[in-house]
Amino acid sequence: MKNSILLALALPLTAILATAQSSIPGVTSHPEAKPAAVAYLFPEQVSVPAGKPASVDLHFKVAEGLHVNSHTPRAEELIPTTLKFPETGDVRLAKADFPPGKDFTLSFGSDIPAEKLSVYTGEFIIHTELVAAKGEHLVQASLRYQACSSNTCLPPRTIPVAIDVIAK
Amino acid sequence: MKRNVLVVALVVCVLGLLSLAGWANWQNRVHRAMHDQETANQAVLVADKTPTGDSVAHMFSPLVGKPAPAFTLTNLKGEKVSLASYKGKAVQLNFWATWCAPCKIETPWLIELEKQYSPQGFEILGVSFDDLDKDDPKLLAKDKAEIEKGVADLKISYPVLIDGDSIAKRYGDPDVFPTSLFIGRDGKVVAASFGLTSKDDLEGNIRKALGEGK
Repeated sequence: MKNSILLALALPLTAILATAQSSIPGVTSHPEAKPAAVAYLFPEQVSVPAGKPASVDLHFKVAEGLHVNSHTPRAEELIPTTLKFPETGDVRLAKADFPPGKDFTLSFGSDIPAEKLSVYTGEFIIHTELVAAKGEHLVQASLRYQACSSNTCLPPRTIPVAIDVIAK
Repeated sequence: MKRNVLVVALVVCVLGLLSLAGWANWQNRVHRAMHDQETANQAVLVADKTPTGDSVAHMFSPLVGKPAPAFTLTNLKGEKVSLASYKGKAVQLNFWATWCAPCKIETPWLIELEKQYSPQGFEILGVSFDDLDKDDPKLLAKDKAEIEKGVADLKISYPVLIDGDSIAKRYGDPDVFPTSLFIGRDGKVVAASFGLTSKDDLEGNIRKALGEGK
């Protein structure tokens, strides 16, 4: 008898809990969220020797049809692509070598002066040297960039670059 | 006796969970309503066909046909400028930024068009979306100086207002630059353009705002 009462109450309870969870703000997903112009590809996890500089290549991809300013754009007002590691933590960014930008000319008719840019398109790699204390560390780095197509620009964005660093 | 206690306890639990579900539903409705309000004016990308049948994508603003949202911003001299003070004029709101290369390409066209149509009551208001470090007076002054330099380099002759981000929500969070909204003499948005188009397109929209075109 007790079991049948419990069973009768358990089913509606499960349904109520499921409804409540899906109704809580933040739990629901928003499918209209816009994809980022740049995606961090890999690595998600690296093993490095503890306490010594270790080379780690970070791979990114710029969405098709877009470009981002290189780390050294041609004009002062353009926003460079930059990599930031947390200042406090057990993993330190000792060095970051950005690839040279590709020349890109924004031209719009003969009466308008062409705008020469230094950009990244497609995949690009930032060569880094990390120094990590012994142990496993989840590093929350970030990449800031500003993307454009040939006729529009998107606002500057910062994307997370999460790396699980295992230092032995 | 024990069974009665168990049943009462379970009923209380069920009522408690029902209350939780109701509260969560209400919170979600509030959250969605706020989100819908924020995105109501957001431009959307729609597919269209060109006269030749090629498929192209263009942006459409839900603000077209509606009164332009009111705002007050400051210009580079620190003076307050309200959209309301342009009542009775045709206005182009040009959302741009110093880091936007396509914006630089259209700027000479805007300067020419403003000169050409200002005798008929047409004005351009440039609205800069460059970031401002409002919490740090030194950095803020540097940010403003960079915008001023951009305005001088591009020889912009029309007013440029700063802190476009503060009115972004009202204008559907513009996320492509340049974006222009063309406002008629009655204060309603008559057209919008997204990205670098052409001088002819801009002129067509200006004529619409002046009530000359279709």
